[in-house]
Amino acid sequence: MNTSVRLLSAALLTGWLAFAPTGFAAAVTPGSLQLPNFDGIASKAVQTVDISLDTSLLGMAAGFMDSSKPDDAAVKEIIAGLKGVYVRSYTFNSDFQYPETDIDSVRKQLSAPGWQRLVAVHNSPDHSNVDIYICMVQGRASGLAIIASHPREFTIVNIVGSVDLQKLHQLQGKFGIPQMQLPDNKAAQNK
Amino acid sequence: MSNELNDRLRAALRPVDPGESFTQGVLARIASEPSRETVSPHRAVRMRGLRWLSGALLAVVATGFLVAHQWRAQHAQQGQEARRQVLEALRLTSEKLDLAYRVVKDKERSGA
Repeated sequence: MNTSVRLLSAALLTGWLAFAPTGFAAAVTPGSLQLPNFDGIASKAVQTVDISLDTSLLGMAAGFMDSSKPDDAAVKEIIAGLKGVYVRSYTFNSDFQYPETDIDSVRKQLSAPGWQRLVAVHNSPDHSNVDIYICMVQGRASGLAIIASHPREFTIVNIVGSVDLQKLHQLQGKFGIPQMQLPDNKAAQNK
Repeated sequence: MSNELNDRLRAALRPVDPGESFTQGVLARIASEPSRETVSPHRAVRMRGLRWLSGALLAVVATGFLVAHQWRAQHAQQGQEARRQVLEALRLTSEKLDLAYRVVKDKERSGA
């Protein structure tokens, strides 16, 4: 009887550790951010993108990529090193419908050790801002964060895991990914 | 001689009524012997149990197939949705990276 109870407890504990603490894991995983609840903003937005993909969902998505197709194989390679992808993007009909406090709460998390700001773009004429941060742990990139705001739009992207921007660059023009003007490493090396 | 034999045979083979007691004896014997066709109560219970068990097994197998089919359909739907979300996330990420790059380049050009 005692053995059965112990075995059952061990099984439950193992199950909890394996599946339950996704929020807990997100809080302690380097490179991950605690995104605020944007439900209030979502009701005002005309277009909403709310994506939360943890390791298991990324694995599931990878399972539905056809490795024999080069484009799918490239995406599969990109997401292989990722632990999570979280995107919140809202588009509005009128200017500044979103509270800056929510964005500031995310910015505060990016001042924590490990996070480095790669790019801070503030374009006065059209009030568009883009901040790109990278989380470095022991010399390796373990997370990427993008905060892009425009009077009628704001987007927060948090990619957890090793992000290879060069591989992402190779996907331009495929799956609706825009043609990027980012310099190609090979082209830059040849110059 | 042949006539005498003939008569004796006729006499010996003539129909004779066995009598009421013989009929009753036969009927009593039949009633006392257990019928070979009759199934014992234990066997009847066992057969009914087997019928229930096979029905239940069939229902379990059919339910299993149905659940497995639904799980596969749901799994495929979730996988396709996850794939769509990955591509949407990559699209948005690329778009914002490109926006930052373009603004930086524009500033460089205007500064130069």
